[in-house]
Parts: sequence; C-alpha cells; structure tokens
Amino acid sequence: MAKVVIKDSPYNLKKAKILDVKTLTEKEKLFKLVFEDKTWLDFEPGQFIMVSLMGIGEIPVSICSSPLNRHYFEICVRAVGKVTNSLHKLKAGDIIGVRGPYGNGFPIKSLEGHDLLIIAGGLGIAPLRSLILYSIDNRRDFGEIHILFGCKTPGELLFEDEIEEWSKRLDIHFACTVDRADPDWKGNVGLITSLIPGVDIDPLRTYAAVVGPPVMYKFVIKELLAKGLPVDQILLSFERHMKCGMGKCGRCQIQNLYCCKDGPVFTFKEIMDMAEAL
Amino acid sequence: MKIEQYKLLEKSLLKDFINSLIPIANVYAPVSKGFNNYVFQNIKSADEVSIKYIPTIIPPKKFFLPKKENILQFFIEDELKVEPVTEYENLIIFGVHTCDIAGIKCLNMVLSDKPKDTAYLIRKKHVTIIGIECNDYCDEYASCSFVGAHMPTTGYDLMFTELSEYFIVHIHSSKGMDIIEKTDIFKDASIAQLEELKILRNNKMKIFNNEIPTERRYLPDLFDRSFNANVWKELEQKCLSCGNCTAVCPTCYCFDIKEEVDLTLKAGERYRVWFSCQLDPFAKVAGGHDFRKERSARQRHRFYRKFRYHIDRYGMVFCTGCGRCSRTCMAKINLKEVLTSLIRESEAKIWRKWL
Amino acid sequence: MSKPKVAFFDFACCEGCQLQVANIGEPLIDLLDIVQVVEFREVMSEKWDGEFDVSFIEGSITDEHAVERIKKIRERSKILVALGSCATIGGVNGMKNSFPLEEVGKYVYGESYKFFPTLQTKAVHQVVPVDYFINGCPIYQPEFITVLKCILQGIPYYVPEYPVCVECKLNENVCMYDRGLTCMGPVTKAGCNSWCINNGNICYGCRGLTINPNTEGFKEVLKKYNIPEDFLIKKIEMYNKCKELD
Ligand SMILES: Cc1cc2nc3c(=O)[nH]c(=O)nc-3n(C[C@H](O)[C@H](O)[C@H](O)COP(=O)(O)OP(=O)(O)OC[C@H]3O[C@@H](n4cnc5c(N)ncnc54)[C@H](O)[C@@H]3O)c2cc1C
Ligand code: SF4
Ligand code: SF4
Ligand code: SF4
Ligand code: SF4
Ligand code: SF4
Ligand code: FES
Repeated sequence: MAKVVIKDSPYNLKKAKILDVKTLTEKEKLFKLVFEDKTWLDFEPGQFIMVSLMGIGEIPVSICSSPLNRHYFEICVRAVGKVTNSLHKLKAGDIIGVRGPYGNGFPIKSLEGHDLLIIAGGLGIAPLRSLILYSIDNRRDFGEIHILFGCKTPGELLFEDEIEEWSKRLDIHFACTVDRADPDWKGNVGLITSLIPGVDIDPLRTYAAVVGPPVMYKFVIKELLAKGLPVDQILLSFERHMKCGMGKCGRCQIQNLYCCKDGPVFTFKEIMDMAEAL
Repeated sequence: MKIEQYKLLEKSLLKDFINSLIPIANVYAPVSKGFNNYVFQNIKSADEVSIKYIPTIIPPKKFFLPKKENILQFFIEDELKVEPVTEYENLIIFGVHTCDIAGIKCLNMVLSDKPKDTAYLIRKKHVTIIGIECNDYCDEYASCSFVGAHMPTTGYDLMFTELSEYFIVHIHSSKGMDIIEKTDIFKDASIAQLEELKILRNNKMKIFNNEIPTERRYLPDLFDRSFNANVWKELEQKCLSCGNCTAVCPTCYCFDIKEEVDLTLKAGERYRVWFSCQLDPFAKVAGGHDFRKERSARQRHRFYRKFRYHIDRYGMVFCTGCGRCSRTCMAKINLKEVLTSLIRESEAKIWRKWL
Repeated sequence: MSKPKVAFFDFACCEGCQLQVANIGEPLIDLLDIVQVVEFREVMSEKWDGEFDVSFIEGSITDEHAVERIKKIRERSKILVALGSCATIGGVNGMKNSFPLEEVGKYVYGESYKFFPTLQTKAVHQVVPVDYFINGCPIYQPEFITVLKCILQGIPYYVPEYPVCVECKLNENVCMYDRGLTCMGPVTKAGCNSWCINNGNICYGCRGLTINPNTEGFKEVLKKYNIPEDFLIKKIEMYNKCKELD
C-alpha cells in the first residue's frame, strides 16, 4: 500500500481560530471565528459549514453571521452530544477545523424586492440570523420585514440583545413568543403558530423563511397556506444527519433530494409531495 | 467487432496466464470459502482461484471504496496539523463478472460527480479489471438481464469469454493491451472465433430472459406509483435491519465518518466506514428524531435508491442484478419477489381503476 | 498532569473480563504510561483509600452487601465503567431471575440457603449511575482500549446501535446460516468486531440485544431454518434477563 497526501481532498480542513466565545443561554454558545490563513469565508445566508474537533468528530453547523461581515464569521452551537459539548469547552485562541460552506442557502436574488416573513423556532434562529443581518445590511433591497421567534421558555431565548434591537427598529416588525412563561415574562405565551394569523402581510409579495425543530414545520406551513402564501414562496431549511456535506454519504437523503447539496433550503413546492420531508 | 481487439488463449493456459499476472501487481481473484461462498482475495497462485463462482460475499467495490478508509491524519501537539491522505496499491482484479463491472460503473458515476472524491479516483487509476463473461446464470437469485448487466459492454480492461476451444479475450484499454503483450501465450483471433462469439451472445439472449415481469424503462413509472404500496408494509415484519443487503450490494456506497486517536491522545486518523440506511443511527439527529424510523421505510428507501432516485440524478439504474442482497438475507427478502409483488400490486390498482 | 487513578472491582462474575484486561498484551505498557492502576485484585494486592478517577466494575449486583459496596465505590469514583456483560446487562447471572429466589437459594446452598440472603440480579446501572459501558462476555480488548481513550479525552463512548452482522459482513465471513448454524448476530449489539464468527464460532449474543431488535421477525427466520422458537427465548434470556428490570 502506498500512502499519499492529497491536498485537494474534499475532506481537507482549514484551520479557524476562535476569536471569542459568548454564552447565550445554558445550552448555547456563540463562537466568533477567523481562518488562520486570513482568507475569507464566502457564503450565502442559510449555508452551513462542517466543524471539526480533531480526535472527537465533525458536525454540520449553520453560519449565523452576515455574509457581509468581513471581520469574522459566527456559529451558534447547542451542547447536545460529543462534539458540541467538547466545543463548549473551548475558549478564545483555540483552533478548530472547518470545511465548506455547503448547501444552497436562501435564494437571495429571488427574495430581493419582496417582503420577508421570517419564522424561527428555537435554534432555528441561527441560519435565519444570517438572513436577518443580511437584509438589515441591505435594507433597501427588501420590502416589509416580519420576524417571528418562538422558544420553549424565556431562558432559551437566543441573541437577546439583538432581538431587543430588532424589536425597536421601525422598519422591522418583530414578535416573540414562549411555550411556557416564567414570572418575569411579559411577552406572548403560546406556540409560534399562534403569531402567524396576526401578522399583516401581502401574501403574494411575501417570502416566508422557516427554520425550527422537526415538529414545527407542518403546523407553520398550514398557517402560511391559510394566509394565502404561494407554495413556492415558503422556504424551509431542514436538519438531517450529515456526514459528508456533498451528496455522497447518503445520510441526509430526503427521497431523491440530498439535504446537504440540494438543500438545506427547499421551497414548500419542491417537497410538498414528499412523505419523507415533513 | 474489430478483430485486432481480440486474442485467443488455449483453455489449458488460463492458469499460466493468471500466474503471469502475479509478478506484475497484487492479484485478487475469487477464492472459494466453502458453503458456496466466494471472496475476492489476494492470490499467490492460480491454483487458489475458482474460475466458476457465484457472486462473492462482498463485491469488488471494496477495492474502490474500502470498507474502512483513512481520509485525514492529524497531530495535535502544540500546533494542529491536518493532512488529507489516501492509500492505494497497484492491483489486478481477475475474474470480475459483468454485473460487478456494472456496479463499479455506478460507483464511478457517483464519486466522480462534483465535488470529486479524489481518493477514489486515485485508487481507480491503479486498478486493472479483467472480466470473465457468464455464459449462463450463476443461480436463481440473479436478475442481471433485467438491468442489462449480463453482457460485457464497457468498464473493463480485458474480458474473457469461454468458447468451445479457447477463451476469447476482448482488449478494451491500453492497460489491457500491456498485459497481453507481457506474455506470448496469446494467439490472434480469426473470423471463425468471432463468429462463435456472436453465436454465443445470441444464445445468451435465450438463456438470459428477463427475470422480472416488466421492462427496465417502466421502472420510473412503477416506482412513482408504489411509494405507499403494501409490499413495504409486509417487509416491516420480516426485515431484521441487519444491514447485510446493503453491505453486499455493489452499488451501495453510504458511509459514516469516525475517528480514533492513538494512546498518546495527540495523533490519530479520521476514517470513513461503510454504513447502511437499514441501521438505526443512520438518519437520527440530535434530539433523537429518526427521519426513517420504520423498517418498511428503510427497505423502501433501499429499493428507491436502486430503481428510482438515481435514474433522475445519474441516469442509471443502481442495481446490477447480482442477487447478493437476496442471497444474504436470512429473512429471505428477495429482490426479484419484491419487484414482482410491486408490479402485481400496481397492476391490480390500475385494473381496479378501469373496471 | 498526574496520571488518572484507575481501579478494578469485581462483583458476581467469573473475573474473565479483568483477565482480558490483564492479558491485553503489548498495548498494556502504553496504557500504564497514561494511567495509574491503584487497585486490581487480579494482578496486585495494594489498596487505595482515596478517590478514583476511573473505576471499572465487573460483575452484577446480587445481594444487599453488593448494593452497599457498589454505592460506596460510586461515591469515591469520578467515572464509573461497567465492564463485561454481567455488569452492563446482568449477563448470565440474570438467569437467576427466571426462578423464585427461594428456589435459587435452595438449589445453590441447600437447606442452609437462609444464611445466604440473595436479591434479584441487577446490572450495575440498575443500582448506581454508570458513565461508560463495555459489553461482552468476555469484553473485546480493542473496545476496552477505545473506551479508555474516550474516557481520557472526556468524550462519551457510544455502543454501536446496530447488530453484529454489520461487522461480520465487513469481515467477509461466511454466514453461519449458510453453514446451517444459528447465529444471534442479527439481534445482538455490535462492537466486538464479530470476534466469535471471525474465529469460526456462532455469535451467542453475549453483548445483549441490540436497541431495536425485531425479535418477532427473528422467530420467523428461525422457523424458516426449522429451529424451535424456544431456542431464541433461551438464548435471549441467557444474557438479557435483567433487561426486564430496566
Ligand atoms: C444543516 C445543519 C445545520 C445545523 N446547524 C446547527 C447550528 O447552527 N447549531 C447547532 O447547535 N446545531 C446545528 N445543527 C445540528 C448539529 O449538527 C448536531 O447537533 C450535531 O451534529 C450533534 O453532534 P454531537 O457530536 O454533539 O452529538 P452526538 O454526540 O454525535 O449525538 C447526539 C445526537 O446528534 C445526532 N447527530 C450526530 N451527528 C449528527 C450530524 N452530523 N448531523 C445531524 N445529527 C447528528 C446523533 O444521531 C445523536 O442523536 C445543524 C445540523 C444540520 C444538518
Ligand atoms: S439483509 Fe434482509 S433482514 Fe437484513 S436488513 Fe437486509 S432485508 Fe433486512
Ligand atoms: S440491489 Fe441486490 S441485486 Fe441489485 S445490485 Fe444490489 S445486491 Fe445486487
Ligand atoms: S448476476 Fe448475472 S452477470 Fe452476475 S454473476 Fe450472475 S449471471 Fe453473471
Ligand atoms: S454469521 Fe451471524 S453475525 Fe455474521 S452475518 Fe451471519 S447471522 Fe450475522
Ligand atoms: S460475536 Fe456475539 S458472542 Fe461473540 S463477542 Fe460478539 S456479541 Fe459476543
Ligand atoms: S451529508 Fe452526505 S450526502 Fe448529504
């Protein structure tokens, strides 16, 4: 057996340095990253990267910063298992491996000139934050922007400072709800679907972007259809088990679609007849 | 048929030919393991080889996409060092049947699709494929003629076909030519043998008749109608989710990526290893949600990967008809029977609509 | 950093798993470079009265005395590892649970059974929390090393959630069913690299049932091979009886 180093291997990693770690909630941390070789991560909102901790594992994570931010990129990680818990132990200055970006991201070109209805459940805010920040940076390219954000409890609310800021802006309609309130909570209580009937949108001018836990999609889509949104203007980003990120390992397959390559963002139209999608 | 592309080998000289390969490269050939099981294995002498064999336990995909393959090596001393690697060897696979050649063609399609799998392409460059044509069925599990994999077409360097007196050898690449030129045991073919080959192929069309009661071109239609078929539900009870059917399939290439450090905990390797859509962790995500929980849905996925999805993506049926999945299944889930039941169920539905 | 302090303790078992560790061969020297063994009855007489970084527990919990002892060990251990089938799933000791305790006592100790109070057999995690599981009867040495590395890296070890057949096929063994034998591989947790089959034996299911076994389907398979159904029940009970207490 001859052994060779293959620099152009699609599994090759780039070293990224952690600039800063910010604790957002009990389970989520925000990591600010730069590539060690000072190159720039070119990506679209909604794309993801594969993050490696050598000797521990590699996982798909959404990029949650704005693609226009030329200083660093960010990921928001929930500690759920082997790699994510180990990531949470890292601090500024530590090095991780990154490959990507992967996936299609949100179709920015089609979104431009339209109103946006952004619906995030829990950690689903991560990829959507990238879209939100992008649309704020290019505010004039979009019409109305509505953001609906739902969490289980107030303690799980991510990006609190930013939410505060978004909710104060006059050019963004922001609403937030929790499934279960605590005594200090003054906002809405109830599932995210309860917010949808109340938003004032022109359905034909609006693109909805929805990301959340698996159970959320069916109910949200029902509400959106009731509102009169066309099926090809409902954008959904899916989570699946992913190993390669490039349509090979088969883990992320949704019938004939690869979530990693053809997605993770799909229009409802593309998947509405697929039993394995929702 | 261009006569220059054909050579003849006396039947009695086949062993000499195989032995002549051994100094050139590592030669792998079918070796009997007893109980009608065969394995492509490194041979040191032609005596080990079973010229007549039914498809091996694992197909030759193991040489192209190894069961377990290092993809990165890393060192975590003071500074992190990561190197993508691969391993390859110069090897000759002797005695590959046309179904398995079809399987390699499927893998080629997927792994040279962008982004290209560099490791696969490097290994592939170093493999020489010498085929042996089946003049008759290996056994009752085969459905190679349904998918058109029973005749040699492309995808090999040399192809041996047994005629009455000789093996006639089709030279299909310069790699193949090099091997032929290394020995002087081959003779030129004459028109008579080419005629005999043509007759043999015509005869084969009678022996190999379509094993499934439909035609290949109707597969997309059939499968588009069958997503909710009862056939899948029946498999729910039967299948043990052992993953044998996918491990042995020449066109299954799904994998897992894992890693292991050495005892210093400072260096290690990331590797990919074959995995299967039949197994529990395959489609589970954080939070425990399993996107393909039922055995019926997993079996359905397997069949759609073979007969539907890849037709759209790669324009090819991803079944070679080798019959391995049926042979290996202790629950006796049989590919030919499943397809036949699907057709029956689908026909019944259509009839009901008309009556 | 000082080396982690490691100890081995045995409960109701044959001590075969500890023997596997002691006989691990060449890697043992490297292992001793990274850990300090402070208690290991099988190979040394020393005792340690401080805290253990890692305790390996062999054997199942079968009487009150053992319950007290394992609780004390748990209190003194940062990480507790169940080692071998007796500890991870109750193992063969669990067969005792198929009979009334009195009957078992009489069978083993005769009329003086009352002086030997006994409990239903339990796996270690059924008495105290367990951090890592190393299945097998006996354990598979390479898996022991893998788990130890995970412990030292501070990451979990996931026991494979698929059956032995998966590893067996990668090893390209001739299937026992082709040889006319019955094998528990299809319903048994992998992780042993199909050790027994590689060596020409059937899998007798020592690592316990896989997480989602299709036992009904397996019975159908046995029927096809004309194997009586209670063969399966017996084989499953041989190692999995304690599962009922989970
Ligand atoms: C496109 C995409 C974007 C994502 N974005 C984010 C994000 O922005 N922030 C975030 O915190 N998480 C994100 N995730 C989820 C994240 O990848 C998983 O939480 C992570 O893989 C779990 O790894 P672990 O080693 O910590 O867990 P493990 O200890 O390996 O396992 C815990 C659970 O996670 C499942 N799991 C393991 N590996 C994967 C995998 N590769 N893909 C999916 N599930 C897996 C396992 O089946 C298991 O149930 C995203 C996932 C996808 C597919
Ligand atoms: S070999 Fe048979 S029992 Fe095993 S997973 Fe495949 S179909 Fe199911
Ligand atoms: S599905 Fe079965 S018959 Fe078809 S290629 Fe795979 S193993 Fe062979
Ligand atoms: S399936 Fe067809 S091509 Fe393959 S070994 Fe059998 S007869 Fe030959
Ligand atoms: S020998 Fe046993 S473990 Fe191996 S494939 Fe056959 S049934 Fe499965
Ligand atoms: S093959 Fe079966 S019996 Fe042998 S070690 Fe593995 S699980 Fe135990
Ligand atoms: S992650 Fe491998 S195919 Fe999508």
